[in-house]
Amino acid sequence: MTAQTDRILGAFLAIVGGTIGVVATGYRVGFMTDPVGPRALPYLTAVILVGAGLWLVVHPRPASDPVGDGPRRSSVRALAACGCFVAYSLVLPWIGFFAATALVVCAVGLLFRGPPRGTVAAGLLTSGALWLLFVRVLQLPLPIGSLWIL
Amino acid sequence: MDSLSHLAGGFGIALQPLNLALAVGGVATGTFVGMLPGIGPINAIAILIPVTFAAGIPPESALILLVGIYYGSQYGNSISTILLNVPGTASAVVTAIDGHAMTRAGRAGPALAISAIASFVGGTLSIFALVLLAPVLSSWAIRFGPAEYFALMVFAFSALSSFSGGSLVRALASTGFGLWLATVGLDPNSAIPRYTFGSIQLLDGMDFVVVTIGLFAVSEVFVLLEDTRLGEASTRAVERVRVAKRELVETVWPMIRSGALGFIVGVLPGAGGTIASFVAYSTEERIAGSSGSFGAGDIRGVAAPEAANNAAANGALIPLLTLGVPGSGTTAVLLGALLGLGITPGPLLLTEEPDLFWGLAASMYVGNAFLLLLNLPLVGVFVRALSVPRWILIPAVSALAFVAVYAVNASSFDLLLMTGFGAVGYGMRRFSFPLAPVVLGLVLGPLMEKNLRRAMALSGGDASVLFESPIALLLWFLAGASLIAPLWLRRKST
Repeated sequence: MTAQTDRILGAFLAIVGGTIGVVATGYRVGFMTDPVGPRALPYLTAVILVGAGLWLVVHPRPASDPVGDGPRRSSVRALAACGCFVAYSLVLPWIGFFAATALVVCAVGLLFRGPPRGTVAAGLLTSGALWLLFVRVLQLPLPIGSLWIL
Repeated sequence: MDSLSHLAGGFGIALQPLNLALAVGGVATGTFVGMLPGIGPINAIAILIPVTFAAGIPPESALILLVGIYYGSQYGNSISTILLNVPGTASAVVTAIDGHAMTRAGRAGPALAISAIASFVGGTLSIFALVLLAPVLSSWAIRFGPAEYFALMVFAFSALSSFSGGSLVRALASTGFGLWLATVGLDPNSAIPRYTFGSIQLLDGMDFVVVTIGLFAVSEVFVLLEDTRLGEASTRAVERVRVAKRELVETVWPMIRSGALGFIVGVLPGAGGTIASFVAYSTEERIAGSSGSFGAGDIRGVAAPEAANNAAANGALIPLLTLGVPGSGTTAVLLGALLGLGITPGPLLLTEEPDLFWGLAASMYVGNAFLLLLNLPLVGVFVRALSVPRWILIPAVSALAFVAVYAVNASSFDLLLMTGFGAVGYGMRRFSFPLAPVVLGLVLGPLMEKNLRRAMALSGGDASVLFESPIALLLWFLAGASLIAPLWLRRKST
């Protein structure tokens, strides 16, 4: 991570903070309910974010990367996992809890380089175990899936 | 002693079958998640909060379970630290020095045993201190008005920001982000929607469970996937987990000293286990002098930090329970859980919910004893869990998190929001912004705003009310000092 990254991050924070502050000016109450009003905390957060952001712009001091350095990093699979979770959230009510959970566990398992057969088994077993825990033990309804009902 | 008779009553609650089972289940779960890389206590507690809400167990029982996970994970963390040299949290970093040196020398058994014993000593001592100190602090904190609370929360934020170990500016930015998240939703006083972007789902505000699981657990999945060295951790078989009598005698005083020290450091907001374990280690190193082999597998180098960080974990419960103000990310999650269960911790907790407090304290004794009994013979079983491959463990844990969140509100929006926070948490980690202040800001933000408004309403808008009482002035001073101290120390050392 370079000082340049820190400057960009700082500028981004300052812009976000500024936007928060500007939006907060619109929170007006018709009559004075309390002397502080709904704007105080947003203003405070705006000041903190703008201050921290400008500090980073002026004094960029990149901290060491805690995630791990080196070229042996790839964000592709992290991005793919993000896609899996988004897809899961969207299809859950439609294809139902069991199929969706088995699929997502299998897919993320594959991203972790699990063996294909093993991840399928892990998906089915996890889904079954969670069904037992939530539906049978805790008696919470989980979506069956609108696809299978009609 | 009034406290002791209350505590006796507490044991009556802690020993009820459900509570006993939850305490044991909590510490076992805690050991497990503390040990496995990538789960950790914050994730485990956050994931289990919706499950305990949904299961409808009584508040004191839910708290016994969640707090059991909290202190159980402290010990579990030391297992992977000693065996694999991968400290899961900063508070275990010092344990790695001598703990892993002992493992390399073929003495993993004694290292694990002394870590269990030291955790027990530090834990038990600090519960005793908790029981004695909490009523005193409660009766003192009853004099806290809204101005004092506001100053106390500012102190909590500044202490966490400056003692979190990283950059102060980045920690402040994280705090600001958390406070901003706290403002999202309908303003409770004026009913004006703030930062909802026209979304109906956001009118209720950010659900802290969704934010916490997203920031910590989901982002952890992304971080783990990014590391292309997905090789499995190699574990070695552990021989008998025992410690020689001579070594036990040698470590008794270090454990007691470190336990006391850890507790004191733990009570202070922000400091917590990391500082406690560092200070305890260097103190014992100095006391041992040339007679010690610190750094090369000295058993006292394992006993001291382990006693200290367990004691600090329990000490951190004092400001949480008696003031309602947490000083760390994990205790902030516990505060969120308490508020969700309809309990408002604070000076009145001990008088209004005595069963809850004394039942919890007693269950912590029981849980600590179980940790010792469970871990000396069963550590081999726990160690085997370390060899569960990531491709099974991580997807299964994420599925549990998603299903647990969905089960509460049956809302796909929550899941999408959680994934979004996962991406945000991932970005924050990539750019070295700490995550704990976000949770603290989100949980404390509404309380901070409420107390500020109350103080100002009472004074008719005169801001000097915030600086009037001696207690408030002291807290403002501490808040300022905690921000300046690290800068001053850094300048002095360079």
